[in-house]
Amino acid sequence: MAEKTRKQEFFKGLWGENPITRQLLGLCSVLAVSNAVINGLAMGLAVTFVLIFSSLIVSLIRKIVPNQVRIASFIVIIATFVTIADRTLAAYFPHLSKAMGPYVPLIVVNCIILGRAEAFASKNKVSRSVIDALGMSGGYFLTILLMGLIRELLGNRTILGYPILGKWFSPWVVMLLPPGAFIMLGLIIAISNVIDFKIKERQKRV
Amino acid sequence: MNLATRMIVTLTSIGLISGSFLAIVGQVTKERIIFNKKHEIEMAALKVVPGASNVKMIYEERDFAIFEDRDETGNLIGYALQAAGTGFQDKISLGVGVSPDLNTVLSLIIIDQKETPGLGAKITDEISFLQYWKNRDCSKSLILRKPPVDNPNSLAPNEVNAITGATISSQAVLNIVNEAIKKARQLQAEGKLSERH
Amino acid sequence: MNLLVIFISAVLINNFVFYYFLGLCPYLGVSRKLGPSISMGMAVTFVLSLTAVASWIINHWILLPYGLDYLQIVSFILVIAALVQLVEMFIRKVSPPLYQAMGIYLPLITTNCVIMGLALLAALKNYNFIETVVFGVSAGIGFTLAIVLMAAIREQLDLADVPRPLRGAGIALITAGIISLAFMGFSGIIK
Repeated sequence: MAEKTRKQEFFKGLWGENPITRQLLGLCSVLAVSNAVINGLAMGLAVTFVLIFSSLIVSLIRKIVPNQVRIASFIVIIATFVTIADRTLAAYFPHLSKAMGPYVPLIVVNCIILGRAEAFASKNKVSRSVIDALGMSGGYFLTILLMGLIRELLGNRTILGYPILGKWFSPWVVMLLPPGAFIMLGLIIAISNVIDFKIKERQKRV
Repeated sequence: MNLATRMIVTLTSIGLISGSFLAIVGQVTKERIIFNKKHEIEMAALKVVPGASNVKMIYEERDFAIFEDRDETGNLIGYALQAAGTGFQDKISLGVGVSPDLNTVLSLIIIDQKETPGLGAKITDEISFLQYWKNRDCSKSLILRKPPVDNPNSLAPNEVNAITGATISSQAVLNIVNEAIKKARQLQAEGKLSERH
Repeated sequence: MNLLVIFISAVLINNFVFYYFLGLCPYLGVSRKLGPSISMGMAVTFVLSLTAVASWIINHWILLPYGLDYLQIVSFILVIAALVQLVEMFIRKVSPPLYQAMGIYLPLITTNCVIMGLALLAALKNYNFIETVVFGVSAGIGFTLAIVLMAAIREQLDLADVPRPLRGAGIALITAGIISLAFMGFSGIIK
């Protein structure tokens, strides 16, 4: 396989290898905290922070760490950044931290992070690993934001707390509940599949 | 260096570095996190007794705490009870203000809940629920009025309006409050509240 | 009474899969056939019970008394990883048939958020020792119930004519949504 350009390395995370819709990784936080845009934003930022810094460190030390203790070291590194994110949120944004409950500490077992550390950062140069992490977290961020927008708008008539739809729209409370999250994500994945099929067909014709 | 030593050295140094990093982060954030937790409950304890200017915790057990509320001149004007119990979906934690003789509910605040949005979650909302809790007579157990009435004045002194479509959440709140007042009364009978007057 | 509430709530009302969204990776990956999902459910229940005990001991005997709560995430994940390794070695030695039945799922469990989620939730809810153990076992039963239900439905779905874009994850998530909707009927039964 020919080496990807940096641009391709970044954009693959947003679409072709999107961690949520394509790789189905780290779904629990996307489903759980996307009931409001603000929670989605905070979760997206937390994951971005952890992913970028753990990829950076893993890539920096990739030649020093013996193969046998690789995973253990990665887990400690990831857990360190997750703790930093969690404590910072709890100290300076207590309301957000409460709304997200155990899902910030759970980033530590989010398969996206360990997956990227193992599959990419431990084999690639620092700059490339950071670009990859940026793309992957971008993909995560966009998906959770989209979920948050749709669920908050339909379930509560608001976006970021500002009323958008008028009283004529009776809110779909189910959107804020777990079933709404499952069904919405299922539909988003289906829609992204449809778009993907269309793109592939067009490429075939060319 | 052979492999075993390299493994041990790498793991120990990663552990040490991350440990010391975390110790710093832990120190920096510790005070604020403790403050945030205490602050939220104390603010609620202050709000549920109108006119109170300072609160002090005088009793604490799991899922239950009593604060005494004093006005600017230091007179005891009521107690704030913080209690938690099972609701429709998960735990409901609330604060209720009562008069010093424990016979009148002054007001109610829901501190934390995970009830159904749009239905049970209305227990946090002033217009549909909390207003009916002001100045209720709790010398007997409080009871729930269902279906709810439009005019608050037609409620008996120890009645509280339920929320349409969320009777279970309303009942859960009522049970938690009744239970908390019972506990407070028991503590008062044991002399654990009055000696601090 | 309190223990019964914890049990019912962890199995039915706040089911780990349908309410907390935990353990979705094996839920989407393994739950295609009924047999393996029962083994997976048993393996998870077993590890969950052990984790409940271990995490409580660490949290209440080491982390909290010495004010080391900032090490909670690191120590939980390391203990879970070590525990899963130990269980795997133990089962391989003691009972090879059992190892064959659920051994391959054990390594997967380390990064399963159900386990970490249990340790964190039990600490967050401030449960005492007995409550934590009951919570762990009930969470495992709830997970098994969810994954078995899903596998039974997906065995049928394989024969159905699902629109192409929905095949795989799409229909699995929507099915999960519908089961989750059905599980919401259990809310309020403890009152």
